[in-house]
Amino acid sequence: MSGGEILSTLLASEVRGDLLILFHKNPGLIDTVDGIARRIGRTTISVISDVRELLQLGLLKQERIGASEVVFLDRAKDREILELVANHLKTVRIGGEN
Amino acid sequence: MFQVSRQQCEDMMRMAMGTRESSSANPHGNLWPAQKSGANSNSTLEEAFSSLLTGIVCDALANALGRYVLDILASKGLLDDSDNPKQFDRGLQSLFGNGASVLERIVVKDLYRKLSIPYNSDAGFDYEKSLEAAKEVCFVESRLK
Repeated sequence: MSGGEILSTLLASEVRGDLLILFHKNPGLIDTVDGIARRIGRTTISVISDVRELLQLGLLKQERIGASEVVFLDRAKDREILELVANHLKTVRIGGEN
Repeated sequence: MFQVSRQQCEDMMRMAMGTRESSSANPHGNLWPAQKSGANSNSTLEEAFSSLLTGIVCDALANALGRYVLDILASKGLLDDSDNPKQFDRGLQSLFGNGASVLERIVVKDLYRKLSIPYNSDAGFDYEKSLEAAKEVCFVESRLK
């Protein structure tokens, strides 16, 4: 996946923006999807597909702890992803063409 | 993790782009300077609003995409226009495409939270109008003080 594609995936919806902010402000956060939805003031159903996309991208990871499935930020992958985004943005000119 | 203070952000912008004067953030930590009489009161309020907005834009970009991305955007001059909604929107669109509106919503949401203005994410969104509304609230509040 290119830096541009990753950027589009990260910023594909307002919910995804909220999730990025939540996990970057709280990089040690571990919570269920229900809990995460509550933290950003939304319902589980409205965040589930965005959480799935970020899991698929690798930015978030999911694990079972006891009876719960929890989600958390993969910090190493996050660094890697943001670096790809940064390298992509370096090549884009404000005002249009590459 | 990526929290950037307004001062750090302005320092970064100055380093990246040169000259802009330091903002007029008041020493008491209030968002707004008390209303002065005379012709420069509006420009003082404009400066205070601009300073607040710049800080919020920097925080939003750093929190969403990381400090490194913020540095790159600053070096490209994007933050020069952070208090000019049309220019800023154009810059964001050219860099982020459809993602620009997500970043703008993050900025407006944070700005509204700081100003205690209710934000409705289901309502239609216009970055420029949202900032105008926030500025209006600030101006009215400062007149009431």
